Amino acid sequence: MAKLYVQTVPPADLNKNTEWFVYPGVWTTYIFILFFSWLLALSVFCCTPGMAWTAVNLFHFAVTYHFFHWKKGTPFAEDQGMYNSLTWWEQMDNGKQLTRNRKFLTVVPVVLYLIASHTTDYQNPMLFLNTLAVMVLVVAKFPNMHKVRIFGINADH
Amino acid sequence: MVRLPYLTALTTLFSYGLLFAFGQLRDFFRKLIDWTKSKDLKGYAPICLGLEDFYTRRLYLRIQDCFGRPIASAPDAWFDVVERYSNDNNKTLHRTSNTTKCLNLGSYNYLGFAAADEYCTPHVIESLRKYSPGTCSVRVDGGTTKLHTELEELVARFVGKPAAILFGMGYVTNSAIIPALIGKGGLIISDSLNHNSIVNGARGSGATVRVFQHNNPSHLEEVLREQIAEGQPRTHRPWKKIIVIVEGIYSMEGELCKLPEIIAVCKKYKAYTYLDEAHSIGAVGKSGRGVCELLGVDPADVDIMMGTFTKSFGSCGGYIAASKEIIQYLKYTCPAHLYATSMSPPAVQQVISAIKIILGEDGSNRGAQKLARIRENSNFFRSELQKMGFEVLGDNDSPVMPIMLYNPAKIPAFSRECLRQNVAVVTVAFPATPLLLARARICISASHSREDLIKGLEVISKVGDLVGIKYFPAEPPKYEQDRKKLE
Repeated sequence: MAKLYVQTVPPADLNKNTEWFVYPGVWTTYIFILFFSWLLALSVFCCTPGMAWTAVNLFHFAVTYHFFHWKKGTPFAEDQGMYNSLTWWEQMDNGKQLTRNRKFLTVVPVVLYLIASHTTDYQNPMLFLNTLAVMVLVVAKFPNMHKVRIFGINADH
Repeated sequence: MVRLPYLTALTTLFSYGLLFAFGQLRDFFRKLIDWTKSKDLKGYAPICLGLEDFYTRRLYLRIQDCFGRPIASAPDAWFDVVERYSNDNNKTLHRTSNTTKCLNLGSYNYLGFAAADEYCTPHVIESLRKYSPGTCSVRVDGGTTKLHTELEELVARFVGKPAAILFGMGYVTNSAIIPALIGKGGLIISDSLNHNSIVNGARGSGATVRVFQHNNPSHLEEVLREQIAEGQPRTHRPWKKIIVIVEGIYSMEGELCKLPEIIAVCKKYKAYTYLDEAHSIGAVGKSGRGVCELLGVDPADVDIMMGTFTKSFGSCGGYIAASKEIIQYLKYTCPAHLYATSMSPPAVQQVISAIKIILGEDGSNRGAQKLARIRENSNFFRSELQKMGFEVLGDNDSPVMPIMLYNPAKIPAFSRECLRQNVAVVTVAFPATPLLLARARICISASHSREDLIKGLEVISKVGDLVGIKYFPAEPPKYEQDRKKLE
């Protein structure tokens, strides 16, 4: 079972920060990480499943917002700062909008929101936080928000 | 085209995620601890902007002892590796004065000219006495000796072109020639896995750069058609010229280029071709003339052929071979010819002697023997590795064979364990290769004897079992195969 093979061709993307996202197994790894962090939250906090999903949703919001939409540039110096004004989301797929990867990454917060709000029975403090998280994430991923910096927050100097 | 088990892809992505998370955590705590320390830069800008050095600090430095190992002898089949130790978990390394003799599977010493040779070395020492180590001058001023002109003619004759020009450094040959050949308003189409020197040269030229999928002539045709139809960006005027850059043997894949198809596509659309034969000149082909001879392409069909003397000839420097007009033009525009010091005369003599041996002009058949031996060695090693179940890339007859590792933790495990058993291998990770496709690159030499190769195979097989990189099923041992044939 462990020997199921996949084939892959090295992609023609020149930006080494984002070209790893087209390899097989990325989506599955993402979903597995979310599932295992739910199990981790359940075992560490000893709470109800709904609270654990809310915790995962909020933690996912914080992490993905920070790394996809806040941090700019690349973690290595070989490209000489070509992408220093673009966040990871804006660098993805060379700036092309509405590709398969981008659509997948937009759907994941929405699915997480549905699971979290369903398992907490739409009760109030959690519902408000979950809705806030999903709204910010989905709006940040709109094609019209490409390179937009609201009120100059996170703009270059 | 690499095939990997699905589970390996998942675990590799997860490992990189974990390494990234730990690196970010460490950075966060470092920022907390240094919050109170004064950060007075006295008005200067910080050296690293933002996260630029994250990969170096948090991933590369952890396994720094696998890269950059100093050696204490000539890179022959067996060489001395200096031992190093670290007191602070690989952040700084200190050399000791002990050395270990290891089997050299990392140097690209394809024809065995790296160590002292019975024909080359006396000639080199004589030229060292006569011409001294440096010319102390630029080629156009006083740096062209008799040896330089002799080598230029010899290289042109060897490669099959009318004229050639030499440079002191292989990397510089690419990065200084491409800007001299093409500028703004031109188009460079280069293979997606081209070497960094070509990428640098293409960026420095100011021309528009497009990339086509590795070794895929139909995608090259698609890109050419699209670009010719669109023209220059914004003005849509026709391109001033189009150059397609490919390599003979790709150093990280060991694959040969699909040269006949690519040349056919370029001729159809009237684009120039630039072939970088750094790893293939002298190592493949019946008489060592490179990938053109091996694949049956006439050298007159390739517009510019570039190569280096560092791999098969055991020297340093690079050359460009093309028509007389192009070489004459390069001699008065290329900055590496006008302003850089000329090649060192003993290095030139080493190349002259090496080419004479390969052509058989030294009076013996050692050249033909070396070429036959490297072909045999490469094919033997590659087939044995594949039989053991490793994933080895590269075509037959190519002396470069990368063994896929994938997982980031297997890189230092493989490298350190092999060193413990006295085999020195070179492991390559990001950013020289794509993120998930880390590999150990083996370079076979004509100076490896059959016993050396068998020892290397034993060690790699043992270490491969320990580390877990035999991704493909191994072939069953021989007596079972014969029994199956009878039934």
